[in-house]
Amino acid sequence: MKKALAHTLDGLKRSARWTWAHKFRAAVLVLVLTLMAPRPIKSQFDPCCAILTAGLSTVTSTLSSVIGGGLNNILSVEQTIQSFEQATVWPQALITQAQGLVGQVQGFYTQIEAVIKIPVNSATLPSTQQFERNLLSGDSGQIPQTGANYTAVYGGVPDAASAPAPVRNMVDMTDAVAQDAMKRAIEIDQLATLELQAADQINQSIQAAAPGSAPIIEAQADAWLVRANAYTQAATADLMRVRAVDLANAGAGVKLGATNTTNLGQQLNNLLQRQ
Amino acid sequence: MALVFFVLFSWFMVKARTRRQVMALCMAGTVAVVLVAPPRVQAQGDLVAAIQAVLNVINGVIQTALNSINSVRTAMSNLYQSVVWPVNLINQAQAQVTQMIKQYQNLMQRIFNLQLASATLPVTQQLETVMRNQQAADFNALTAGYGNAYGPIPAATAANPQDRALTDMDDALVMDNLKTLKAADAAANFTLQAAAQMESGASQAAPGSAPFLTASAVVASIQSQAITQKMLAAELRQEAGSMAHQNAERKRTATNTGQFGNQIMNLLKRN
Repeated sequence: MKKALAHTLDGLKRSARWTWAHKFRAAVLVLVLTLMAPRPIKSQFDPCCAILTAGLSTVTSTLSSVIGGGLNNILSVEQTIQSFEQATVWPQALITQAQGLVGQVQGFYTQIEAVIKIPVNSATLPSTQQFERNLLSGDSGQIPQTGANYTAVYGGVPDAASAPAPVRNMVDMTDAVAQDAMKRAIEIDQLATLELQAADQINQSIQAAAPGSAPIIEAQADAWLVRANAYTQAATADLMRVRAVDLANAGAGVKLGATNTTNLGQQLNNLLQRQ
Repeated sequence: MALVFFVLFSWFMVKARTRRQVMALCMAGTVAVVLVAPPRVQAQGDLVAAIQAVLNVINGVIQTALNSINSVRTAMSNLYQSVVWPVNLINQAQAQVTQMIKQYQNLMQRIFNLQLASATLPVTQQLETVMRNQQAADFNALTAGYGNAYGPIPAATAANPQDRALTDMDDALVMDNLKTLKAADAAANFTLQAAAQMESGASQAAPGSAPFLTASAVVASIQSQAITQKMLAAELRQEAGSMAHQNAERKRTATNTGQFGNQIMNLLKRN
């Protein structure tokens, strides 16, 4: 301990001697040490800090009033829009209610389809039963058999030896239009059944739709309705053809009657002249 | 950095041998401090300007942008509430639906359900009743009533096969049609119930729920159209059958007339 103390005292003496011997260098070192020494932090009473504090306070209050206020105004408007849309435009309860209503309406049509599917066949004889089965099949694949079934019940066109050409033409045209109409009826039955199936599918989609997607499904349903109208028009057209040919037959009957009467008169005349 | 500089500077200062070296070391140290030392802190004037610039941005660009957004959203809110979905018009539309339900639904139902039966005899009254009862579960009663009113097809001994086939086909097509009409009448009742339910739903609908009802109504229209088509198909069959029947008689008449003419000619030739 004493040795260390003596060693330290010796070092201090040597330093003092060096400093005394080198006064200029010691002064330079003291000056450099003074300049390089860390400076104390500026206090809040420093004018620069005061300006910074005031500036930051102003920025804070400006942020609060300008940006915070502006954002609050926007938030208020957004909340008004949101509550308006939720309560008035798209209320969830009414959307759910509407979807439920679609299901109830579908229930009515399920009953309608069940009623429409009840068989209506009524013929009693073998040939007419076969023909009726064909007519009520609602299967366009059976249309090729319609002609044979028709002929089995209503007979074919008389041969040339049995009837004059105008009568044969009239008979053939009438049979053709009647068969066309019957074939069209088979087609329309099948198409109507397919439309009912499609309508069921679309109805199920509506029940699972959102307010934004329902109009898309509605557009599809509209397209189906247009298509259905076209089929109805086609059926109406065939009905009109049947009635037109019926009227044509009535006219042709009068024409044939007039021709036959004239011919009969001539033949009687000829007969009387010969006698 | 400063500590390293101070230690090195002190070391070289202690080790310097001449006054000239000390002077050179002082000058080198000064140059090093000048070159390496960090720039001085900005003056107070710069700080004020920076804060003012931030305030200008907040009060200028940001405030203007926020005000613009607020104006646009307010305008949209007003547009929604006063032009697109005005609550008073929504309420008015719902009230109109309710009012029209009251005005028309019962009236039309009463008109539609008026009794139209007109037959006077027991047999025909029975047939008329079953034809018009809008039920699809009593087709057997229809068949029986029709048979009572129009008679059965002739027995095989009472008519030739073609006549029997013609009458059976006529009866079948007529009864098919009557049965289809009974089913269609029942379907029409369901359709009217569906329409009433949809209209009632419309009286409580919101703009966002109405598309469901509209879509459902369109689907119902497709289904109604399909039922109409089935009725048209039945009508086509009946009209075609009627014409085919007349044509069958025409064929027979033509054949008979031909045979009759030939017989007269043969008779006249013999004379």
